[in-house]
Amino acid sequence: MGQRVGRILFFLLGVAALAAAGLLVPHFLTPANLLNVVRQSSIIGIGAVGMTMVIVILGIDLSIAGLIALCPMVSGLLMLQGVPIFISIVAGIIAGIGMGLFNGLMVAKLDVPPFITTLVVGQVSQGLALIMNNGRSIGGFPASYVHIGNGSFFGIPVSDLLLLVMMGIGIFITQFTPTGNRIYALGGNETVVRQEGINVDGLKLFVYAFSGFCASIAGILLSAQLDTVHPIQGDPYLLDTIAACVIGGVSLAGGEGRVAMAVAGALIIGSVRNVLDLLGVHPFFQNVLVGTIIILVVFGSGLSRYRRTAPV
Amino acid sequence: MRGIIQTTLKSGSVVILVLLVLVGIVFVRNFASVDNAAVIVRQSAIPAIAVLGMTMVLMTGGIDLSLGFVVGLASTATGFMAKVWGLPVGLTVAATLLLGALVGLVNGVIIQYMKVPSFITTLGTGYILYGISQLVSAGNVITRLPPSLLAVGRTDLLGFPTSVYIAAGIIALGWFLIHKSVFGRTLSAFGFNSRAAFLSGLPTARANVLTYVLCSSLAALAGLLLTIRVNAAQPNMGGGVFTFEVITAAIVGGTSLFGGVGSVIGSLFGVLIIKVIENCINLMNISYHLYLAVQGGIILTVIVMDKIRSRAA
Repeated sequence: MGQRVGRILFFLLGVAALAAAGLLVPHFLTPANLLNVVRQSSIIGIGAVGMTMVIVILGIDLSIAGLIALCPMVSGLLMLQGVPIFISIVAGIIAGIGMGLFNGLMVAKLDVPPFITTLVVGQVSQGLALIMNNGRSIGGFPASYVHIGNGSFFGIPVSDLLLLVMMGIGIFITQFTPTGNRIYALGGNETVVRQEGINVDGLKLFVYAFSGFCASIAGILLSAQLDTVHPIQGDPYLLDTIAACVIGGVSLAGGEGRVAMAVAGALIIGSVRNVLDLLGVHPFFQNVLVGTIIILVVFGSGLSRYRRTAPV
Repeated sequence: MRGIIQTTLKSGSVVILVLLVLVGIVFVRNFASVDNAAVIVRQSAIPAIAVLGMTMVLMTGGIDLSLGFVVGLASTATGFMAKVWGLPVGLTVAATLLLGALVGLVNGVIIQYMKVPSFITTLGTGYILYGISQLVSAGNVITRLPPSLLAVGRTDLLGFPTSVYIAAGIIALGWFLIHKSVFGRTLSAFGFNSRAAFLSGLPTARANVLTYVLCSSLAALAGLLLTIRVNAAQPNMGGGVFTFEVITAAIVGGTSLFGGVGSVIGSLFGVLIIKVIENCINLMNISYHLYLAVQGGIILTVIVMDKIRSRAA
């Protein structure tokens, strides 16, 4: 019940914020700009789909910053070598899933704290992205690839549709499959889930691999939007993705949080950045703001539940 | 003394360092020279200061992802105070360290009293600090700092700059603090089991906050000395790459990923290990970008080896 009231409050707050933004910034509430906001939020939103599941099982995935650079770098380099686009994209996705699986292995089999494992894997990915083209960015991709990022389908940007599809997959897994139930149970109480005879390690592997998959899609979409892959392009998206989940009510105490709400959180972050852009606020100041928001929201929301598990 | 030798041998970092040096001597041209050894010592001094703080934070079971951005903030602040405002050296140094302590206090209070996990807190404050440094510096790099400031870290004593001696002093102090003081034991107890430590009446809250204060102060000192070494103050100094370097050194040096265990000597060897690798990469003239990936590979190897060993035991 409390959760439902929370969600309604969240929704009303969101609407109020949008209305306020519309009054404040004349261009904000135009259909073209709103579609643009969704397009800009799609990277964060897609990342947040995977991140939600990871946070639900009491983990964190800091490797997405590196993967958002590495995966499109793999795809992009292959494409420029003349490999068919589809195969190049699949190769990039496989790189993401592979790195995610590695995260999962370290967390599940070796009990390494997630923030260490994923930090290291993220840096390795970042390093690989730098090595692959000696630190230079690549660009000039085939038109059909760039279309993924910039084209429209019946007037709706392909980026927005991709976000919807990824959100749909996330919602389906978490809310309509036994795996989803187990993921929430695992975040609630790992010991009990283990005693039930559920394959906990396999579940963790799946969740981290899925997060790697989401990061690869986000990275590939970003590179298609910009027609460029820069080897450190993932950096700005890490904080925003975690912020999206946290704002969407995904609890760092594990066991609760919805994919759709995290995507809504991504739209909020995207809107805030868009409004600040329209108001001419410096991006560095925006980072100061997002950094502050994330700390305050975690402090405010996870409060009651995290306190019980937090170190005294 | 025997205790030190035993703990270092157990952490395995000595073995890795010896192997690396042997590989360097055999395979890398110009590696085996007194001059090059001195270069490695000089390059290790500044990260060795920062790694102390990270070791303590990891011992509590936390992490400080803002460390590299404190370095950038300290660098920007140092440049501003020394050149733009023209403050005297003593005041500049003191204010920079105080700024670091303040950042650490904010981190510590948010983590300890507001119960926000350390990786979220420091990720957030890291972005905030980087943003502030960029806004303050407005993209400018301040070069040609006053000679009186440069003298703090650059004065030559018996072939080494003062920054090496400062690092040695800090490491000695850190060794006493972590291995011989009540604070160090509280830190250990807190990292192993915070609840038990708290129930035993240890001042865990104070110790935890103080850890972050020390970590950021040391990071600020590292930023100050780094600025002096390259004679340029800018927000891009340090950053995520520096944070990762320091975390690598601490973990390779045998600091437990689960809190409780940390060794100053081990972390020092950790720094030497990554600096020897960096040195080899430079001498062999291969892409510097390899450095990040190699560091990651080393951490992963150490973690896996550690796990295998503890299972065998």
